[in-house]
Amino acid sequence: MGIDVISAHAKESVEHIFFRAIRSRLTMEASDVCEIVPADAHGAHSLSDGNLVILTISGIAFRLLLILQYDEDERTQSYFLREESERPFLEVFLEICNLCCGAVNQELLQYFPDLGMSTPYVLSARCRPYLEALKPEFLASYSVSINDAVRLGATICMCAHAPIDFVAEASALEDTSGELELF
Amino acid sequence: MIQQVLVAALAGSAVTALVALAAYRLASARAVHRLRAEADRQTATLSQASAAQRELIGVHEQHMQELEATLAQLRDELKTQSDSADAVRTELKAALDSKDQLGHKAAQLAAEAARLKGLAGTFERWHEQMISLMTQNQDMHTKNHELSSIVRHVVIVSLNASIEAARAGAAGRGFAVVASEVRALAARSEELSKSYRDSLHRNDLTTTATFQDIQAGGKMIAASLSSVESLANQFHATLH
Repeated sequence: MGIDVISAHAKESVEHIFFRAIRSRLTMEASDVCEIVPADAHGAHSLSDGNLVILTISGIAFRLLLILQYDEDERTQSYFLREESERPFLEVFLEICNLCCGAVNQELLQYFPDLGMSTPYVLSARCRPYLEALKPEFLASYSVSINDAVRLGATICMCAHAPIDFVAEASALEDTSGELELF
Repeated sequence: MIQQVLVAALAGSAVTALVALAAYRLASARAVHRLRAEADRQTATLSQASAAQRELIGVHEQHMQELEATLAQLRDELKTQSDSADAVRTELKAALDSKDQLGHKAAQLAAEAARLKGLAGTFERWHEQMISLMTQNQDMHTKNHELSSIVRHVVIVSLNASIEAARAGAAGRGFAVVASEVRALAARSEELSKSYRDSLHRNDLTTTATFQDIQAGGKMIAASLSSVESLANQFHATLH
């Protein structure tokens, strides 16, 4: 499998789509500030802590694993639960992750007509280094910070067995919300 | 004298009669002549009229011939049209039959796509196996964790044994060797347990990724079959 199975445009597009989904679905209020930086950059989330929520979007020529890492600490719980105290944190958080992945799936459907999405599953963050075992063509991790209080890890792991090349249309509405900080 | 007068009167009468006869003849000759002339004129008029009528009859006959020719032509055309209408009717019937067949096929296709959507259940069944596998993995994690804590305990015990052996001095030398061996074995066990834990994590990830791919792939196939079904139904609807 060559290194160009997934084109640079496609990688960039998947990244942009994922970022848009994170910004729109993982923030509880429209005014919340969501920063996304590469995981190795300043103050990145320690990737061996906590748990991972794994979701898969499968297409004919590829599978895309979207992984969100979280700590079940007080700040994270109170941010995502808000006033909701009846439902357990994990149930609420998995639903949010599902919506986030659903948003990615919805955008990708514009370029790949045949897609399906899995249900979320929780694994220990210690599993993360073994993503390499899936022989991904595109693997990238980011640190997500919401209101400078809640920290999450986000990983894209894309495996392809046929060339993938597409350019996602920039959604002007959401693209202006801080993506320039990264590029 | 009377005789003379009578003769004269007779003669006069005779003359008068002759004159009258002559006058009558003349008048009748004139009348005959006039009548003949009139008859001739009327004959000429009649013959003229007759000629005109003959001419008209000729014209009418020509018209009639023309009309008959047109009629024959129209009859031919009607036959041709009728033949082609028959052909069109046959073609239409064939087309309707083929449309019905296509409609039937479209309905079959839609039904087949709907039936195959049941595959989603098969994929879900496979996905359910993941939960069972992951539960087993979780059980192995727990056992390995237990093993790891036993090994840690053995390390502590072996350290204590080494300390006790050192206290015993020369008498404890043999025991020190055994304690050291036990510590080495515990260290190896710890390494093995860590390696086993890593393998389990790796297993967790590949199992989850594989089964999620199966689940998502199943949904992809079901969605694709839904669009095939919908297209077939649309096609069927346009045919009826």
